[in-house]
Amino acid sequence: MAIKVYKEVLTNGLTILAESNPANVSAGIGFFVRTGARDETARESGVSHFLEHMLFKGTPTRSALDINLQLGNLGAQANAFTSEENTVYYATVIPEKFKAMQELLSDMMRPALVPEEFSMEKKVILEEIALYRDRPHFYLFENAFKDYFGGHPAGNSVLGSDESVSAVTRDEMKAYFDRRYSPSNIVLAASGNFSIDDFLRDARALCGTWTDFEVGRDVSRHESKEVYREFRRKNLSHSHAVLLAKGASAQDEERYSLSILSNILGDSSGSKMYWDLVDKGLADSASFDSDERDGTGCLMVYVSTSPSKLDEVVKIAKAIVNRPLDFSDADLERAKAKIVSRIVLDGELPMGRLMSLGLEWNYRRTTTPLSETIAKVRSISRNDIERALEKFPMTDWSEYRLLPE
Amino acid sequence: MITTHTLANGLSVIVEEMPHVESASYDLLIPGGLVCDPEDKVGAGLILGEMIGRGAGPLSSRQLSEAFDDLGIRHGEGVGSDRYAFSGSLVSDSLPRALELVSYMVREPHLAEDEIPNIQSVLLQDIDSLSDNPARRSMVELSKRYYPAPYNRPSLGDAEGIKGTNRATVHGLWQKLFSPRRAILSIAGKVKTAEVLTTVEKFFGDWSGGDVQIPQFGAMPRNDYFHIDSDSSQMQIVFASPSVRFNQEGYYDGKLAVSVLGASMFGRLFVEVREKRGLCYSVYARHGSTNDYGTVTAYVGTTPERAQESIDVLLKELHGLRGTVTEDELERARTNLKASLIMGEESPGARAGSNAQDWWLLQRVRPLSEINAAIDKVTVSSVDTFLASYPFKPCSILTLGKHTLSVPTGLIGEGR
Repeated sequence: MAIKVYKEVLTNGLTILAESNPANVSAGIGFFVRTGARDETARESGVSHFLEHMLFKGTPTRSALDINLQLGNLGAQANAFTSEENTVYYATVIPEKFKAMQELLSDMMRPALVPEEFSMEKKVILEEIALYRDRPHFYLFENAFKDYFGGHPAGNSVLGSDESVSAVTRDEMKAYFDRRYSPSNIVLAASGNFSIDDFLRDARALCGTWTDFEVGRDVSRHESKEVYREFRRKNLSHSHAVLLAKGASAQDEERYSLSILSNILGDSSGSKMYWDLVDKGLADSASFDSDERDGTGCLMVYVSTSPSKLDEVVKIAKAIVNRPLDFSDADLERAKAKIVSRIVLDGELPMGRLMSLGLEWNYRRTTTPLSETIAKVRSISRNDIERALEKFPMTDWSEYRLLPE
Repeated sequence: MITTHTLANGLSVIVEEMPHVESASYDLLIPGGLVCDPEDKVGAGLILGEMIGRGAGPLSSRQLSEAFDDLGIRHGEGVGSDRYAFSGSLVSDSLPRALELVSYMVREPHLAEDEIPNIQSVLLQDIDSLSDNPARRSMVELSKRYYPAPYNRPSLGDAEGIKGTNRATVHGLWQKLFSPRRAILSIAGKVKTAEVLTTVEKFFGDWSGGDVQIPQFGAMPRNDYFHIDSDSSQMQIVFASPSVRFNQEGYYDGKLAVSVLGASMFGRLFVEVREKRGLCYSVYARHGSTNDYGTVTAYVGTTPERAQESIDVLLKELHGLRGTVTEDELERARTNLKASLIMGEESPGARAGSNAQDWWLLQRVRPLSEINAAIDKVTVSSVDTFLASYPFKPCSILTLGKHTLSVPTGLIGEGR
């Protein structure tokens, strides 16, 4: 299990992380760009995600169709995602195809942004926005975060709106790319069955010429607040509520304690919320999570139930988070066992390891071997959780509800 | 190394040793599922599936849940159309305890009456929340109309059936269906076969039960165009048409033909509907087969004003496939299928699942070389032979959205 992580930083600032394991039968590779919705201006809302789509739509030497067909020829399981803080492009391939996959993905990172493709893909994005508009809980999350974070960029919408996406121009997207996709703001990572020497050599050749420039991000902590808001929608069969309070950032040491606490209180099974709400048939979904962001973070309760039961369900959920230390030593050990098992099982596959390597670097500029993360989780005590709660006391709840019109 | 064994009580056991991993997975399949629910109590099986995890053997509901969690066992208990399924992933040391817990659930569930109202409440909420996921709802609605009873039963059950189920119904189903006779237990991961067999014998060796009969798959209903009014932002368009069965000659011709058509990124639908015309975010076609039926399913979700063009392009691509598949397209589909098989080799969960599925359909486990040989046999001409037998018509189409669409005549008709 003790596998070494190799790290190299090219002269242009691109960080390369490699963890090779010959026991794997596949290899994962990905570019992790430290950019997302929170790095957009209001006018640019949605452009990070739109740009992510455009990276599949052509480079100076490949058309969109060339990219699609080559991904097919490589038998790659390839995809990308955009969040508030990261834009990630990744693929898993069999070892023989790794070199070609690395070349293709590296080429995609320098997109042509062809105007015709830009106009066509804009329609696809507007369809994606329409798709999520039909999912009420997604609508609640977007609006709750936007309100809760106030003017803080952590509350920015990933998809943007019909208006912002319709208005954005190809040149504005290019300007965003030129502001964010600096090699020093990107990590190239690989995990699984591949040759580290070849990977590093090819990375130098393929990415070494990218020009570096400085990239910043506002990583201030958001102001905590306590508000109550209701949103209404027609034809809603279910009601949903989100409760938000100040939580640990991705850099805060308290994140370990709070994620264990969130498992005890709100994991999808075997948690306090499960037993008090789902097991009893009151809610079809009830969870508590620690949402750790860059420099800031929040704790989040989510419940979903029929409209007539929402008051009762929210009341019970609040009672649980208002007595956060009301758990036994066995509850604590069980939560740790669940988390450790997830780390081990996810870490076994190249894609699972790739994601933790790349994202950890983007947030903390470090790499942690699995064994160290596991030891850290195992070491957390009730005292650690008590101390974390002194800093993040879970008393400053904002509440958002989605109800039928 | 894969070995298969049959216990004296009929339970089939498949073990695959994967020395390069640290974890292990199990899959237990028991014939039954929603098709075996009483006709006026569709969803009773879902209640049984839930109750099994709420107290079994010496353990209360909470103790059972905690016993899994103490070892960090990721587990799931599900009810399918024709089976009850139990699966789990774990650090391999925990396998004996996991199998012990599964044996309690299968053999000695408490089926406590006072759990029923809570479970009914959650299942009814699930049905309600289907309208908040139009893509899923459209598939459920099409399946109801496309397949013959009882194979058309909705995966969430029906509200009346769930409300009408009592403890006697659930207990009766469990007694009738939960038998080792045709059940399959598949295990893969960092395990030693001999040790696994000893454990399995210990927990399942004296499990007894008779043969279980699953309803026959009947004649397909007439194909048709269906529409459901919905005030949603997007219109859902779903398509289904007969294809080759799993146990028939030409299965891989069908699978690869549908991949040429419907694969993400490189498939014709993705390129023509999304990439070239920007009509949608999500579009695909899939091939699904059992020994009883084969189905090609296609989907596109789009805004109402672009729905007619979307369905026109979708149908044109579906029905224009025959005689036009190129060598390059076939090679791409072949490479992808083979790569996904190779990549599945490193996940114990994927291996346990596919071994169990092979046994379910074939009563044996195929080596990868046999599957690869079958995939290699497919040629452009054999794909065309498949498309001549299965031209993706007659077909059924369902739309869910603000208005109906015009569907060319001659596509719908008698089922086969």
